[in-house]
Amino acid sequence: MHASAAQRTDRPGEASATFGDLLAEPAVLERWDRVRRWFFLRESTYDMTRRCNIRCEGCYFYQGDKQHAEDCVDPAAWRALMRAEKERGITFAVLAGAEPALVPELLRVCGESIPLGAIATNGLRPIPADVPYRIHISVWGNDDTSERLRAAKRMLDRQCDVYAGDDRAVFVYTFTRENCAESAEVVARLARRGCRVTFNVFSSPVGYDGPCRHDAASLAETRRMMLRLLGEYPETVLFSAYSAVAHTHSLGLHDLFGCSYPRRNPSTTLGLGRSFRQYRSNLAFDRSAACCVPDTDCADCRHYASGSAIVTARLHRHAADAATFRAWLDYVNVYLAVWVRGYEPFSPLLGEPTAPPGQELF
Amino acid sequence: MSNSTELERRIAEILIRETRLEDVTAATFDPEVDLVEEVGLDSMDLTTVVLMLQDEFKIQIPEDEYPKLTTVRKIAGYVQAKLRP
Repeated sequence: MHASAAQRTDRPGEASATFGDLLAEPAVLERWDRVRRWFFLRESTYDMTRRCNIRCEGCYFYQGDKQHAEDCVDPAAWRALMRAEKERGITFAVLAGAEPALVPELLRVCGESIPLGAIATNGLRPIPADVPYRIHISVWGNDDTSERLRAAKRMLDRQCDVYAGDDRAVFVYTFTRENCAESAEVVARLARRGCRVTFNVFSSPVGYDGPCRHDAASLAETRRMMLRLLGEYPETVLFSAYSAVAHTHSLGLHDLFGCSYPRRNPSTTLGLGRSFRQYRSNLAFDRSAACCVPDTDCADCRHYASGSAIVTARLHRHAADAATFRAWLDYVNVYLAVWVRGYEPFSPLLGEPTAPPGQELF
Repeated sequence: MSNSTELERRIAEILIRETRLEDVTAATFDPEVDLVEEVGLDSMDLTTVVLMLQDEFKIQIPEDEYPKLTTVRKIAGYVQAKLRP
């Protein structure tokens, strides 16, 4: 039962849409029903190994203590961990750092225990076809830039050779302060190869002040380019106008929405604060350091991974008016399309940017 | 199981409908069962229920009040306090 467009008793004089009002339009209700089926997802992340086949400028893994953890290479120990994780309610495993493709047997073990998940990889080595997870392939610019930042030659062609045609794969283009212009060339090449791409925004590790760190001008330029590419390649680019706003705003995600990962959230009663853990490659975890990309400077955090959780979790404040709620639905649609195999994305409700709740557009 | 008031039963109805709980009805739902620890609801479930409760009772429930809403009985007490003139 939904109330009609009534004013709520403790905000006299202020007309506000009820949730029922927001769901009244069939196109909105259909999308709400589609995304809410996935509200059962509860993630944790796992560093699979401290080894990597390349080294990248500003790599998060090689910041802080986690790089010094001894690798656990015992599949039985990983299987026991995954069973315990499933037991405590984890339904989505994010396998990351340093390079998960170097430990394919452990990836299989994770996939057997928790069937939904995603793997962050540099994409130079194939991940076996029987690992059921989404595969996120990191792209940091065109081949010249990749060679400079990652010391790997012909990176995009090699990544496409491995993953073009693989329905698990989503390329993730990370916009830095310096590589905005070359994103057009990269997305065009990915489109020609039939690959899908989403966007990330470089978020500085603690203490990092190198050439990748964004400034106000590069964030604005990044937003313009994201919107342009979204318009030009709607079949290739998994993104939304609101995603572009949320990730290129002058305020980082924590200041915009309040980060709900344990590192910034002392509450253990609900949501990520209650269930999220970030395991190191020795299978230990530290609540005080736990977030999706540890050792990121929280004030500069605009990661696609953190936004996927943080923006989605802020349903309440997005259920304020029709435009904001639709923007949220479009955002969650992108998040699910990028992270969850089996999710069928819908066409976006909004083509134009919408300001985050209580904030300006920039 | 504790006896339920009419308000608690109405809240349980909304909760059961919105979170698609099976094997329980508003009449059989224990108002003191912990919604997170025992029923297994998470923040997105609870947000959905809260948005529906706001509509139903025409009140505002701020996000930072969520941690207080751990049982149907506590929700009912909270709603009742909000409705009090």
